Amino acid sequence: MAGAIDTGLGDTGLGFYREVLSLRAYRQELLAADIANASTPNFKAVDLDFKQALGATVAAETPSTPQVANRRLWLVSDPRHFAALDAGVTGGGKGADASASVKYQADTQATLDGNTVDLDKEKVTAAANAVDYAATLTFATQTIHMLSTAIGGGSTSSASGT
Amino acid sequence: MSLFGVLNITGTGMAAEAQRLSTVASNIANANSTTSTAGQPYRAREVVFRAVPLEDGDNAPASGGMAGVQVAGVVESAAPFHKTYDPTSSFADASGYVQSPNVNPVDEMMNMISAQQDYQANLEAFNVAKSLALRTLSL
Repeated sequence: MAGAIDTGLGDTGLGFYREVLSLRAYRQELLAADIANASTPNFKAVDLDFKQALGATVAAETPSTPQVANRRLWLVSDPRHFAALDAGVTGGGKGADASASVKYQADTQATLDGNTVDLDKEKVTAAANAVDYAATLTFATQTIHMLSTAIGGGSTSSASGT
Repeated sequence: MSLFGVLNITGTGMAAEAQRLSTVASNIANANSTTSTAGQPYRAREVVFRAVPLEDGDNAPASGGMAGVQVAGVVESAAPFHKTYDPTSSFADASGYVQSPNVNPVDEMMNMISAQQDYQANLEAFNVAKSLALRTLSL
């Protein structure tokens, strides 16, 4: 799974973590917008369908604008390897992809002024999302430690600690 | 980076809630102001919130639902003034009634509690985003 997105970092899985962190931060931003508008008349609460957004990111195979300069110099056996690479390199395009997975929250009660933000629910969701973000960070940190151990042996892994 | 967007959004939220709170304070302070610079009793005021799209448009698609909040305006309550019979007052009208502000203390207290909770929620979201950003720095 980690190799599904190859962003030129090899198959270390760091590219995958980058996408996950980006989506988690995006979702945190949406939830913050909900909380900020908890008293705005007619504001409709939104949320990111994380599963769909990440699935779309992973499945994205079509390059938007190929960047020739960033192509790998060695031969590949399948042309789609280039496609995946280009999609990853140009893919700060998370905003375009992920915003397609933003959905209105349908299961909340609307108040008299048409606002559908459930403050308690938003707080819980934001806290859970923050934990998920931190967990992904932990995994990414461990991967980096593992790589530096592989590069420099056991002695340098402690020196590169956070 | 999106986490800084959280800081911006909750910042707008806290600013708006603070203004709501100060409006409540103004209403409570003037709950007995039978006259004002306009010559009329004080009218209760209330803020109106409006969702505004984020300004730094690097990663904020307008359709993405990402919006801060701002105070669109302050409206005065159209509720009738309270009247008390006090012919000796210098502010009494021809029939002896004194008009006093249309501030409803119960409304104001409820508004205050709501503003406090919303402000607190914004602050929590701000702190969470801040600690996540700091942890990201130490990746």
